[in-house]
Amino acid sequence: MSQDRDGGTMMPSTPRPGQPGALTLLRIWTAIGLQSFGGGASTQLLIQREFVQRRGWIGADELLRLWNLCLFTPGINLVSLTILIGRKLGGGRGIVASLAGLLAPSAAVTCVLAAGFEAVQHSTTVHAVLRGVVPATAGIMAVVGANFAGPVAQRARKDGLRVMWVCGVFVVAVTLALTVFKLSAASVLICAALLGAAIFTPWRQRSTALDPAPMTDPTTLP
Amino acid sequence: MINPVAYFLLFLKASLFSTGGLSNLPSLHQDLIGAGWAVDAEFGESIAIGQISPGPNGLWVISLGYLTYGYFGAILALIAIILPPFLVLGVAAIFARIARKRWVDGLMRGLSLAVVGVLASVCWTILRQPGVIWSGWLIALGACLLAASRRVNLIAILGLAGVVGYILYR
Repeated sequence: MSQDRDGGTMMPSTPRPGQPGALTLLRIWTAIGLQSFGGGASTQLLIQREFVQRRGWIGADELLRLWNLCLFTPGINLVSLTILIGRKLGGGRGIVASLAGLLAPSAAVTCVLAAGFEAVQHSTTVHAVLRGVVPATAGIMAVVGANFAGPVAQRARKDGLRVMWVCGVFVVAVTLALTVFKLSAASVLICAALLGAAIFTPWRQRSTALDPAPMTDPTTLP
Repeated sequence: MINPVAYFLLFLKASLFSTGGLSNLPSLHQDLIGAGWAVDAEFGESIAIGQISPGPNGLWVISLGYLTYGYFGAILALIAIILPPFLVLGVAAIFARIARKRWVDGLMRGLSLAVVGVLASVCWTILRQPGVIWSGWLIALGACLLAASRRVNLIAILGLAGVVGYILYR
């Protein structure tokens, strides 16, 4: 994986060709931090838009892979993702710039809101506005999910109809496990990972349709 | 009197033994209430503020820090939630070491599929909240279409949803 190219220890003083400098990262992440009202859905969508769609610095499948790693890290997953993206695009300085950009403005706005919350918490206007914004975040989350589903679906299509069915059932099963059966996210993710390894690994050397494509783009492997 | 070191360590512990935004709530609730450093209402308020303010939902602890211990508390809370995610570098290093194993690809593929399911379930949970009626579903659909178009600014989408909410539910 390309993010591991320097083990995170190197701090390049100048950006590599095609790599943004720390200042650029700070600017982009500050914009994300200031705009992502509505919580994690908005932050995720902005990350996908900025780094994958607009600038093409990270592939859709790679972002998904980075996100998978964040799921197994303690604390806020989006902060972990910020660290990984910052490192990939700017080394140690990239991490600092990205975290500062994401968190400083959001933390400041949070404090201002906390200070003013007493005054507005019973305001019917604020409640009405929020009642409109909250479902909108669900719509935004759906787009985030669709963007993440893109590379997964593409690969399933390449593997044929049977794999497409397996993947579809897999996603529906996870959704039901969380919504209807109310299982904890951690247990569902662990089960999904183990099940994925069991289903998609070509255990017999010459496997059939479930044979996966090579793991990563060979050019990005160390 | 709040002991700043103990206060910080409680926040750090909660963040370290949680994953995702709100799973540090039970630990913080128990510890801070137990120490007499916070009251119940401050938790409800912090979570509400965390949902309104920009950035990941997990930043709700910053408002908890602010409400219970002022700006100093907010800064301590911020540091406490920044540190644990750095363990992702270790996770990435472990992953790089096992990446070539035959079963890892399937494992990541299962996880990727699960991520899609998790996001679907989050949408579902938001839309099943009390107070979200059929018009809320239409707002969600509208926001979804605008966000999918890639052309419309996110703030504009959320602002529009807020205006619609104001008109409908005032």
